[in-house]
Amino acid sequence: MTATLIAALPDVPAPVLVLAAGILVLLLAIACRRPGRESGTVAGAIIAAATLGLAFAGLWSPAPPHAADMARLFAADAWFAYGAGLILLSSGGILAMSWRQMAGERADEAHLLLLLGTLGAVVVAGSANAIAFFVGLETLSLSLLGLIAYRPRLPDAVEAAMKYLVLAGTSSAILLFGLALAYAETGDLRFTVPLAANPAEPALAMAATLLVLTGLFFKLSAAPFHLWLADVLDGAPTPVAAFIAVVSKIALFVALARYFAMTDLTGTAWPAQDLAIVAVLSMVGGNLLAFGQTKLKRLLAGSSIAHIGYLLVALLSAGPLGAGSAAFYLAAYAAATLGAFAALGAAPDQPDLAAWRGMFHRRPAVALALSIMLASLAGIPPAVGFFAKAYIVAAGMSAHRMLLLAALIVSSIIGLCYYLNVARVMMTPAPDTAAPAGAAASGTTVLLTALALATVLLGLFPGPLVQRTTALFRSAGPGGATLAASHDILYASTPPPRQRLLR
Amino acid sequence: MMALYALVLLPLVGAAAAWLAGRASPRAPWPVAVATLVLLAALLAYITWAVPAGGGPWLAHASAPWIPALGITLRCDMDGLGLVLLWLTVVLSFPCVLLASRDITDTPGTFHALLLATIAGVDGVFIATDLFLFFFFWELMLVPLYVLITVWGHEDRTRAAFKFFLFTQGSGLLMLLSILGLAFVHQQQTGILTFDYFALATTHLSPVLAMGLMLGFFVAFAVKLPVVPLHVWLPDTHTQAPTAGSVLLAGVLLKTGGYGLIRFVVLLFPDAAIRFAPVALALGALGILYGAWLSLVQDDIKRLIAYSSVSHLGFVLLGVFSASPLGVAGAVVQMVAHGLSTGALFVIAGALQDRLHTRDLRRMGGLWPALPHLSATGLVFAIASLGLPGLGNFVGEFLVLLATWRISPPIAILGAAGLVLSALYALTMVGRAFLGPPPGDGWPALPDFGARHMAVLGAAMALLLALGLYPQPVLDLSLPAPLLHSALPHAALTGGPRP
Repeated sequence: MTATLIAALPDVPAPVLVLAAGILVLLLAIACRRPGRESGTVAGAIIAAATLGLAFAGLWSPAPPHAADMARLFAADAWFAYGAGLILLSSGGILAMSWRQMAGERADEAHLLLLLGTLGAVVVAGSANAIAFFVGLETLSLSLLGLIAYRPRLPDAVEAAMKYLVLAGTSSAILLFGLALAYAETGDLRFTVPLAANPAEPALAMAATLLVLTGLFFKLSAAPFHLWLADVLDGAPTPVAAFIAVVSKIALFVALARYFAMTDLTGTAWPAQDLAIVAVLSMVGGNLLAFGQTKLKRLLAGSSIAHIGYLLVALLSAGPLGAGSAAFYLAAYAAATLGAFAALGAAPDQPDLAAWRGMFHRRPAVALALSIMLASLAGIPPAVGFFAKAYIVAAGMSAHRMLLLAALIVSSIIGLCYYLNVARVMMTPAPDTAAPAGAAASGTTVLLTALALATVLLGLFPGPLVQRTTALFRSAGPGGATLAASHDILYASTPPPRQRLLR
Repeated sequence: MMALYALVLLPLVGAAAAWLAGRASPRAPWPVAVATLVLLAALLAYITWAVPAGGGPWLAHASAPWIPALGITLRCDMDGLGLVLLWLTVVLSFPCVLLASRDITDTPGTFHALLLATIAGVDGVFIATDLFLFFFFWELMLVPLYVLITVWGHEDRTRAAFKFFLFTQGSGLLMLLSILGLAFVHQQQTGILTFDYFALATTHLSPVLAMGLMLGFFVAFAVKLPVVPLHVWLPDTHTQAPTAGSVLLAGVLLKTGGYGLIRFVVLLFPDAAIRFAPVALALGALGILYGAWLSLVQDDIKRLIAYSSVSHLGFVLLGVFSASPLGVAGAVVQMVAHGLSTGALFVIAGALQDRLHTRDLRRMGGLWPALPHLSATGLVFAIASLGLPGLGNFVGEFLVLLATWRISPPIAILGAAGLVLSALYALTMVGRAFLGPPPGDGWPALPDFGARHMAVLGAAMALLLALGLYPQPVLDLSLPAPLLHSALPHAALTGGPRP
């Protein structure tokens, strides 16, 4: 038994191992020395930061030798490395943001939960197997639950946690049912659309896919499964909200793309059509949701839903550009959304948009940073979001997704309204009675500066990142079209003998 | 030639310097901005002077890789058309800074930085020959102007700025679709993904596709120019913008629309443009008459000037789509003349508002004795704007009408009728503001234009006069250079009368 475990270890990507080890060390540190003092908190944060750093470095470790097809839990390909890199960087940013904010008397557990959540996200991003995927997803969801309710004195936090618990539980159950159904139909646990394996009962496989998709869309908060996001983001502490909006969404999008790696999404056939409907609903619905919000976090929730829609457009635009644009957009989205939350964190206790009046006079740096982030989300140059959106439109054009592009343009214009509105509010002079904004923690300041610089510099010089994101999929050869095409190489061998469980 | 990049980078560096200077002292940004403009003018003079004689219609060129994976380069080329409009930009930014922005007290550093950033974006638009780079600059020039209007505009500024941004950005997205569509059609034909203007010009398009792609470009430029059904952002924005913003908007930004029509709509899609010409000519005539008609009944002086812009730029649309070199030359002259005269009128309207704290013509009147210099310059530019022979506007309008007459006499007649209306509203404006009895019991002592204003506006007058008396240099330069690597016949520009 032990021997089997150790034999399986090399198959696990290095970042997962590093994160797991770091979590153990942190647990030990907490157990050995119950912190009543500041030093414990700092040590915990340092361990967490070191773990994230080492895990990031681990991305460059040589890929493990390929195990036998069926036993394979992880696909440590370039797509995984890219997604995991984004996840780890974002987690590092969130750690910097929460350096002081999450800290009350017991900050160590917050760091532990953050690491656990990151581990779950990385596993989700890398899993090639339904069970690995589900375990990763549950690790992610459960640590998120703990993080949301971490400060129970915030009344909204408990409410948000309850909401998240119920909906995450429901969606997990649906997802699990779908995975089980797929297993029953095809007899293997690979995390992919069961239809690709030519099952005997296509209807059953279709139902399985639908259930899995429903679960995934719940977690991604794509419309029409988006209703929980605004409440949860609003109730959660700012760093946790950032974690939900950035880390967990990146992980799930990476997994979603992997799920469809072997499916043809080019036409208007069945799964593509469903995805297209969800994409349109997310783009338009998310932007409409954000349109009337008076609270910044709820506004960002709507914007996040809409961006999932844009990403789905990229996913649906099969072709060399589609894959690259999805990867590029993921990075642009992560930087801008994380930055927007960091800006919220830099002016704490001002959840209402109205409280941000005159921010350009009171806290010009924060206001400028938030404006850059929102410009990026809106797709205004010179922020990186401009190029990212143009890239997606290019991908959609090359794949002839005209209807989707029309929806994208309409919803972008709606989006422009509320992003500009925030900038306008910050430019209007403040009433004299406005409460002085609290000072930002140093971690947040550093993060915000770094992200603002990255957003603008990437926007001005997107070349290297474009090169990198297209190279992710180059390995698939000239015809390599679908995302995570290296996946195909992995499974290029003959399909496994199918066990018929039903019947 | 790296100097082309410097045209964009220099104002940006100046903007950063002005912003930094503003942090040191509220008086410091203004000299920094003036110095930047002087340097910019010197740079442009150098570029003009360094053009090799007889080196072909493309005067300067610069190229560098930007996003090689997608075939996007930092390619810039300048021809005579670009040069004329670049000079217009530089010349008009002087009144903006010299006359309008010195009195800004509310964070002057940021104000000047934004002004210079807008100029950088406009410069980029006039030289970019990579379509993606062009689109980048096209969007980039909006942002600083939006902030300028939102923060330093008049009473209803936020709504006006918002409208401006929404219209231009929304139509810009349509242009993006067209750019990408053209690039992908080209890729299908040649296997190369590129956004290079000269390469894309060789793409063979089916008539339907060409019309669709052309319309994407046309809408974006028509919003900017503006062409009548798409003009609704303009009166509000011009009225609410701070004086410097109004001058820049009317003088330069609207010209990016005309430039785009010539450079991209007509040259990239010559056949589609010819088929579309009847619609465009009708829209142009409609714009001339509608703008003039609305101008007649305005009480707000800035709104009146704004509607007159709609009318004047209808001539540009006529000229561009008259499918003859004569019409295009006339359109360019009209753009330059309109930039100078309307820019000056906005300076004067701004000065009136500073002194009287109103833009309402019903509360003006009899200002001539109180403000003789201001009123006299107002009269001169109003007359220039109505197209008095001897001044630049006349040349532009005359050439455009001549070219239009050759293809469609009815449209030319309608356009000429617009000229009558323009005489009406310009003289009405002069009469209501400067002549007649003053309201109430006369004007208190008001500060008249000083030497600074008279010098700058006098220079604008001299330029208008020069353009009116000897337009040949501008006419020589104004024809867009042919597409270097293109084998297409330039039917739109060389074919004479429409078949």
